[in-house]
Amino acid sequence: MQPPAGGTARDKFAVLGLPRSFELDAGQLDERFRTLSRKLHPDRFARASARERRFSLEQTTLLNDAYRTLQDPARRAEHLLELRGIHPLSDTAMPEEFLEEAMADREKLLEAKMEGGKDGVEQLAAGIRHKRDAAMDEIAGVLRNPSPEPPALSRVSELLARLRYYARYLDEAMGRAPEP
Amino acid sequence: MVALLEIAEPGQSQVKEACVAAAVGIDLGTTNSLVAVVGPDPSSGAGKPLALPVDEGSTLLPSVVSYREDGPPIVGREARRRAADAAPDTIASVKRFMGRSSADPETKRLSPYRFAEGESGTVRFEVAGRSVTPVEVSAEILRTLKTRAEQRLGTPVRQAVITVPAYFDDAQRQATKEAGRLAGLEVLRLLNEPTAAALAYGLDKRSEGTFAVYDLGGGTFDISILKLVEGLFEVKAVGGDSALGGDDFDRAIAEVLLAEMGREREPRLVRQAIDAARAAKEALTARDSVEVEIAGFRRTLTRAQLESAMRPLIERTGPPSRRALKDAGAEGKLDGVILVGGSTRVPAVRAYVQALFGLPPLADIDPDEVVALGAAVQADLLTAEKPQHDVLLLDVAPLSLGLETMGGLVEKLILRNTTIPTSATQEFTTFADGQTGMDIHVVQGERELVADSRSLARFRLSGIPPLPAGLARVAVTFQVDADGILSVTAKEQLTGISQSITVKPSHGLTDEEIERMLLASLQHAEDDMAARLLIDARIEAQRILRAAEHQLESNGDLLSAEERGPIERAMQSLRAAMESGDHRPIKDAIERLDHDSAEFAKRVMDRGIERALKGHTAAEFETGEMSEHAKKAYRALRDD
Repeated sequence: MQPPAGGTARDKFAVLGLPRSFELDAGQLDERFRTLSRKLHPDRFARASARERRFSLEQTTLLNDAYRTLQDPARRAEHLLELRGIHPLSDTAMPEEFLEEAMADREKLLEAKMEGGKDGVEQLAAGIRHKRDAAMDEIAGVLRNPSPEPPALSRVSELLARLRYYARYLDEAMGRAPEP
Repeated sequence: MVALLEIAEPGQSQVKEACVAAAVGIDLGTTNSLVAVVGPDPSSGAGKPLALPVDEGSTLLPSVVSYREDGPPIVGREARRRAADAAPDTIASVKRFMGRSSADPETKRLSPYRFAEGESGTVRFEVAGRSVTPVEVSAEILRTLKTRAEQRLGTPVRQAVITVPAYFDDAQRQATKEAGRLAGLEVLRLLNEPTAAALAYGLDKRSEGTFAVYDLGGGTFDISILKLVEGLFEVKAVGGDSALGGDDFDRAIAEVLLAEMGREREPRLVRQAIDAARAAKEALTARDSVEVEIAGFRRTLTRAQLESAMRPLIERTGPPSRRALKDAGAEGKLDGVILVGGSTRVPAVRAYVQALFGLPPLADIDPDEVVALGAAVQADLLTAEKPQHDVLLLDVAPLSLGLETMGGLVEKLILRNTTIPTSATQEFTTFADGQTGMDIHVVQGERELVADSRSLARFRLSGIPPLPAGLARVAVTFQVDADGILSVTAKEQLTGISQSITVKPSHGLTDEEIERMLLASLQHAEDDMAARLLIDARIEAQRILRAAEHQLESNGDLLSAEERGPIERAMQSLRAAMESGDHRPIKDAIERLDHDSAEFAKRVMDRGIERALKGHTAAEFETGEMSEHAKKAYRALRDD
């Protein structure tokens, strides 16, 4: 794998000393994060000079960000694409049929909520969860290949955009609206 | 500076720091405040944090300040005794007003205070012929703790870790920091109370696993979910209600009593009713009924009646607790629930917690002292050359941080429960042709609308080149440091014009006000400023020299002979400067050494990182391939 020409994205796998791969040992990831936190955290430099405190702050910020990204499979996949110069969430134009599907899903959810039945909403959510899991499996399948073809990568971009939508849908369905 | 780079394993250095000044942990509570310290008191045993007796032999200093016309304010038990006779001049539970504006609902609740018309929205109390802010009242409490700890320890106290509720927002944190400064303390860190409690508890019990800390104090409720692994205390999620606590129980009970009495609610009577309610609540933790008497009015109060008055309040702790468990992904995976805060002594609260989490709560450390003890451990970690414990706390941002965008909507840049320090950048474009300025409005909270969020700061980026709408790009970066305090930078990408600010509370004191108060307090202090600066500079110089010597010894191989020369000369001139009776040449020599050893510092740090990664891979028998990754990691970390 080559970083994109002009390499804009920083390799978050490298920050944690891990190979660039979708498959990841969660235990190893946690362990690396802990070891590096112990070395780099600002608390370890509380008595140091302003320059070192700044250095430690920057390094820990990078470390926390890398760890957060790699922990979550969807964000991990997004990052693997970014490392190839593809920015799935800003560059992907969604197909017309997906937008229509999304509108129809929303209408059904609204109707189910109006009817007030908990079962109706739960049934719709289960359907979306199923789609979400299928999308995640498909992404994993493509990214398991060390050098996927460009069309396969475009497909992953589209699936990642779908995942965002599914997550929002499920938040709404489960009433996980932001609380005050 | 170099050597300050303690890349060497903590505890490796054998040099014992002379005990010149103590760094303490302070729990600045709604009802009571405490101060604790690790070591050096030999009777406390090695490395154990200990709360100091500060008020009539007790470790609890009631957070009550009573102002007088003819003398300095009185703090603690004596102030509480004056409360009924001097109700409006005696401020209790001031923490509830920290960082609040005079329009806040907090100022409209049942209370015996007189509020002054404040400028700039700051809350002010009218006391004994003058007006004071919550920050000043809190500073009185901190000053009392500082003075009494100094008497107890026989050494000056200058540095402190002060605890705050995890759910405190930016304005409340800044206000607490200001109170510390005003009391003459260097605030090393604002530490979240549940995290402090977990630190004390985890160290004491040597526990590992996933824990919930349920912290119900006098005025705030916090819930935190933490993971404890090998000395690492990792906060996974926090939640709470920064205006819910034992005070509310007292007020709910007082409301019941006052309603029955049907008399006019003048301050003295309100104070008496609240005091009687608290006494009844405390008595009913061990009994089933109690006699209540207020100004000739008598009745019997049963535990069932008390609990029905408190129940709606206790139940308010449920939703934030469930949300935090969910955010942490810890549903059904808890190893224990730790109780913190005096209000968790109420039997109905314990029963509710047990039902909520499905686990019997742990309360074998004094819930009043545990927060201060944890703060003392953190103060030791941040100041001691050789800390007593090899632990590290990883905390989170309690509330989401965002910006106002078109239509009064919030665009979140940092989501709640993100591990700190953290940063995030988002690009915005202009919406009008030829637009040359952009207003940046920073908000905090979980809601979608700016109107429902807490406003933290506003500033304007000007000088954007006039371009068609959507062409100019402004990158806004949020950086949250390890204290949870936010700074914001906005940069126009084409010209590189930038603006940055550290967020200051919208309703706090102005910098000028703080400086004025600081000056006033310094003039009254006996400390001789110059002498104090000299002592501080000498201590700093000693510490830096020791650390530099240590690094030259263990990492000297990173330097060539030519590179080593300037560092050693700079050390020599620092030693010479220490002999002078002025702090300025010492400061200059420190800076010089700092400058001359910059490159060395960087190399030592790089080596440290490389070793950290390598150590790992060796353990995993992947030396060949993984050390390549280690190198990459080290390069990635250096790149910035």
